[in-house]
Amino acid sequence: MEVSWLYLIPLLPLLGAAVNGLVGRFLPKAWLYAVALLVVLLSFCIGLFAWFEVARLPGESAQLRQLVYTWFSVGSLRVDLGLTFDRLSGTLVLVVTGVGFLIHLYSVGYMDEDPAYWRYFAYLNLFVSMMLLLVLADNLVAMFVGWEGVGLCSYLLVGFWYDDETKAYAGRKAFIVNRIGDFGFLIGIFVLYFYTGQVGFQALKVAPLSLGVASAAAALLFVGATGKSAQLPLYVWLPDAMAGPTPVSALIHAATMVTAGVYMVARLSFLYVQAPGVMAVVATIGILTALLGAVIGTAQMDIKRVLAYSTVSQLGYMFVGVGVGAFAAGTAHLITHSFFKACLFLGSGAVIHGLHGEQDLSRMGGLRRAGLKHTAATFFVATVAITGVLPISGFFSKDEILAQALNTRAFDFLTVLPDPGSPRLSFLGPTIYLVGTLTALITSFYMWRCYLLAFEGEYRGPAEVHPHEAPWVMTLPVWILAALSVVGALIVLPGHDLRFTWEHFTEGLFARTRGGAPAERLPELVAFGIALVVAWAGFATAWSLYAPGRALEGDERIARVSPGLRKALAASLYVDALYDRLVVKPLWATARTLWRVVDATLIDGLLVNGTAQAVASVGSVLRRFQNGDVQRYAAVTAVGVLILVYVFLVRG
Amino acid sequence: MDFLQSHLLTLVIFAPILGAVIIAFLPRDEGGQHKGVALLASLLTFALSVPLAAGFRPAARGFSFEQRTDWAPNLGFSYHVGLDGVALLLVLLTTFLGPIVVLSSWKYIQDRVKFYCISLLVLETAMVGTLAALDLVLFYVFWEAMLIPMYLLIGMWGSERRIYAAVKFFLFTFVGSVLMLLAIFYLWSHSAPPGQLRTFDYVALQAQMPSLAAGTQKWLFLAFALAFAIKVPVWPLHTWLPDAHTEAPAAGSIVLAGVMLKMGTFGFVRYAMPLFPAAALQYAPAIAALGVVGIVYGSLMCMAQQDLKRLIAYSSVAHLGFVMLGLSALTPEAVNGAVLQMVNHGVSTGALFLIVGYFYERTHTRDLSQYGGVARVAPALSAVFLVVVLSSIGLPGTNGFIGEFLILIGTFTSTTPLGNWGSLPRGQVLSVLAATGVILGAVYMLWMVQRVIFGPKRRAAEHGMTDLTLREWLTVVPLLAAILLIGVYPQPFLSATRVPAEELIQRVARPRAARPQGAGLQRPPDPDLPGAARAEGER
Repeated sequence: MEVSWLYLIPLLPLLGAAVNGLVGRFLPKAWLYAVALLVVLLSFCIGLFAWFEVARLPGESAQLRQLVYTWFSVGSLRVDLGLTFDRLSGTLVLVVTGVGFLIHLYSVGYMDEDPAYWRYFAYLNLFVSMMLLLVLADNLVAMFVGWEGVGLCSYLLVGFWYDDETKAYAGRKAFIVNRIGDFGFLIGIFVLYFYTGQVGFQALKVAPLSLGVASAAAALLFVGATGKSAQLPLYVWLPDAMAGPTPVSALIHAATMVTAGVYMVARLSFLYVQAPGVMAVVATIGILTALLGAVIGTAQMDIKRVLAYSTVSQLGYMFVGVGVGAFAAGTAHLITHSFFKACLFLGSGAVIHGLHGEQDLSRMGGLRRAGLKHTAATFFVATVAITGVLPISGFFSKDEILAQALNTRAFDFLTVLPDPGSPRLSFLGPTIYLVGTLTALITSFYMWRCYLLAFEGEYRGPAEVHPHEAPWVMTLPVWILAALSVVGALIVLPGHDLRFTWEHFTEGLFARTRGGAPAERLPELVAFGIALVVAWAGFATAWSLYAPGRALEGDERIARVSPGLRKALAASLYVDALYDRLVVKPLWATARTLWRVVDATLIDGLLVNGTAQAVASVGSVLRRFQNGDVQRYAAVTAVGVLILVYVFLVRG
Repeated sequence: MDFLQSHLLTLVIFAPILGAVIIAFLPRDEGGQHKGVALLASLLTFALSVPLAAGFRPAARGFSFEQRTDWAPNLGFSYHVGLDGVALLLVLLTTFLGPIVVLSSWKYIQDRVKFYCISLLVLETAMVGTLAALDLVLFYVFWEAMLIPMYLLIGMWGSERRIYAAVKFFLFTFVGSVLMLLAIFYLWSHSAPPGQLRTFDYVALQAQMPSLAAGTQKWLFLAFALAFAIKVPVWPLHTWLPDAHTEAPAAGSIVLAGVMLKMGTFGFVRYAMPLFPAAALQYAPAIAALGVVGIVYGSLMCMAQQDLKRLIAYSSVAHLGFVMLGLSALTPEAVNGAVLQMVNHGVSTGALFLIVGYFYERTHTRDLSQYGGVARVAPALSAVFLVVVLSSIGLPGTNGFIGEFLILIGTFTSTTPLGNWGSLPRGQVLSVLAATGVILGAVYMLWMVQRVIFGPKRRAAEHGMTDLTLREWLTVVPLLAAILLIGVYPQPFLSATRVPAEELIQRVARPRAARPQGAGLQRPPDPDLPGAARAEGER
């Protein structure tokens, strides 16, 4: 259904950004807050209205569309600024504006004392606008605008406190690593355009693609996703991105932007199911990243870095979901994750706020009884959700992904090598399930470690810091998110006859993989049992090491058992150092060498100035002819002209 | 009114010179008046050029605002000017930058102001004339006339090594032009059989030249291409550029980056490629490859610089690499993108040099290690700087994205013009390699941003760094507006160049389809273009 008002959803926050960015400095603070919050709230309301419209419409026709204008059209390429609000993008609009609004509200408390609050809210509004464009775009190029737009906001907000060189560097790193991914995204667009002449999702959906083209395009676009959604090998920017203000980490680096890659794959499910090999890669990268993030997360001391690696890991789960063709399960986890991870990040923000900037777990402890009642309680709820010790949102959404991975038949007809005689890839699904279950164990461990170290036991920080609870503008949004982490379970409840589940809601939106109906390799209830046991095992391990009163003993014990491993994990497995040695340093060295050798010495020194010197020495001979005798000049000139005239007129 | 209509283009060309003449009659010591007159003249020129944009019919073939007066009919040259969409955009760019250039050095230039203003205005006339000329002698005269004022700008108002830079600039460009002059004479001598009247007229020559033998075309193409490639500059002929940019005063850098480099790429579009289509097609893969080398190499050079202006100068090499790549790819997307990218580069790099000029005015240093923390002391200036940098690295929503995206996607889909390497389509390979420039661009530009405006305050930020003044706001706001306008609504610009781009591609890449028999250029008018038939008839 064509409507004429969809553009308001991304436009309103953009206007908010413009107002706050241009004149925010001169506005009274309250007005600025009002503008920043109202535009997001209005977008949310419009989104809600549209969402009910879409929910009423039946099945696949359930979408609202708007062609805002034709952005550019050259040759056979036509790029529209077109928006599509369907059940997937529509729900994400609600997540972005809803969670976004809560985080805006929270920021009013968090950033109140920062002199550059106006700049902060301008960036935050801009981010919401760009994220909405990314989600609503009906073609790859418009999506790319939002894609790079959120990257810009991430750059600006990570480096928000730019006086600090390392923070500015973290922002730059985020942007550049994302650009490496965007490079893949761009080439992916080119491939699709070259073979189909289209960039719009609707047109691409029905365009015939060969296996090779579909695989190339899907793989290239996935490179973009590894950048934006912090997957192997491009995840390295996300932990550093924690340099930004904590609400930003919650909104951009947990709930919304980093899930864009998952959304993109789900949006392009029709393309990915045509490239089963790439889907296997997506799922493999996803599970490896999930494991890696969880493992590194066990040894981080900075509360935000624990959560950052946790995000990397959870995003890996989502890619497992979309990679095995369980697009609904992957996106459902995206939604529940946005609730509980935003809750966790905002909780950590309240801790940092209450401890005057302290982020180190070793100087926390006992915060529950030291006054941070609300924060501790909400953090606890969200920790339960992510670890799955009780069946609330995170439990079901993660379990669904793992069950789908276990039972998938998407890879049954793929072989390890192109040679048809080589072994089949059907082992991939069960393997992913096993690794994923192990990862769930580790997840439960590091999250409970984090909770116990921060909130239980005795306070270990300096005596002059008196922990205090955040004001209501900060605790209220966190409570709402905690509540959502619990009720979020409703949309992911198992059972195929429940009408309100996400799977039912999005029926027909996603393409189906070739393998056919999933196998039943494990009864559902057994799988639930395993998941619960694993979650409790993780909790038990954490409890045995970090039980209240033991303070940091747990870390010391691990360090005693395996000092090398502990050090390597704390240093994030030296991946940054490796990239630095392999890519960054050589690149800059090449640049400097090329400049000195080719530009300065070879071209300029030898060719240019060398020629000049040769000319100069010839000139010293010719100088004899240049003796100031005007008559002789005239004679020579005349002869020259005659020769030219002869050449052109007589012979020509 | 009629006179105004039919002589509009001529007025735009010579309005700056008019200002220069007035300034010449003013007393030497009165600096303020000189600048005032220069500003008025450049504003008047811009105002006169607005009707050009308004009255332009993008669907019309051939040239608009044409005016032709015989000059020396026996020798075959005439005063013949006119605009197609490509030239129109570049003329508008030139007149748009004119007042900004005058304002940019309002305070900084205190020495020999009169002469300085005259140079700027003469330069503007020469540039507009080069773009508008439709007679090869006229073109060459304007082309060479650009050299002198620019040489003076660098040599007289530049910084420490200005003489070296000015001489280098002059020699490089001059050497290239001499061969082009010979080629022009050759064209003239072959424009008619012996004994008949020969011509330098571009329109007439263009109709005949495809009939030249392939071997001759090759040499003539190379002669023209060398002159233009030096101006662009195409790697490895670029080394004059960093020196010229670094030493030139801000106004000189803005003109140089903003307009003059585009004379090289314009030369390819207008002269080298359509006059010698067979040779242009033959060399297209080589030029495209040089463009890609320019992109990657130029970006790497940027990473090795410690001098702010030199860094931006090298970024021009990279950006113009994109333009050359797009022109050689010969697909509608790529060629239109390349022409738009010429405008974009003029706006964005012009703006970068403007802002760096403001930095330099305040701190008298271009050394990156002296900078840092400028955002604390000059937030507005820093914000503007950041926006311009973002447009320079092609962020969607700014002008740079449209140009780069079209060039890259057009190159990727370019099959026949670029051919294959073995089984690999060259277009795809070159496009992927060029797209690494998108990453490298972010690497060096954001590195520069961090060095200059972020981090703790260093010497440059501590001493005399102030925020934008009203005059400076007046110069940056139009540029920012252009950056966003082209980024958000590029279609009018792309529509203006659609027909010339299509004609170029027809001539070079699909010669058989364009010319049924013989050497004639005539082609049935496109039915979907209203006014096409009429434009054809008027010729």
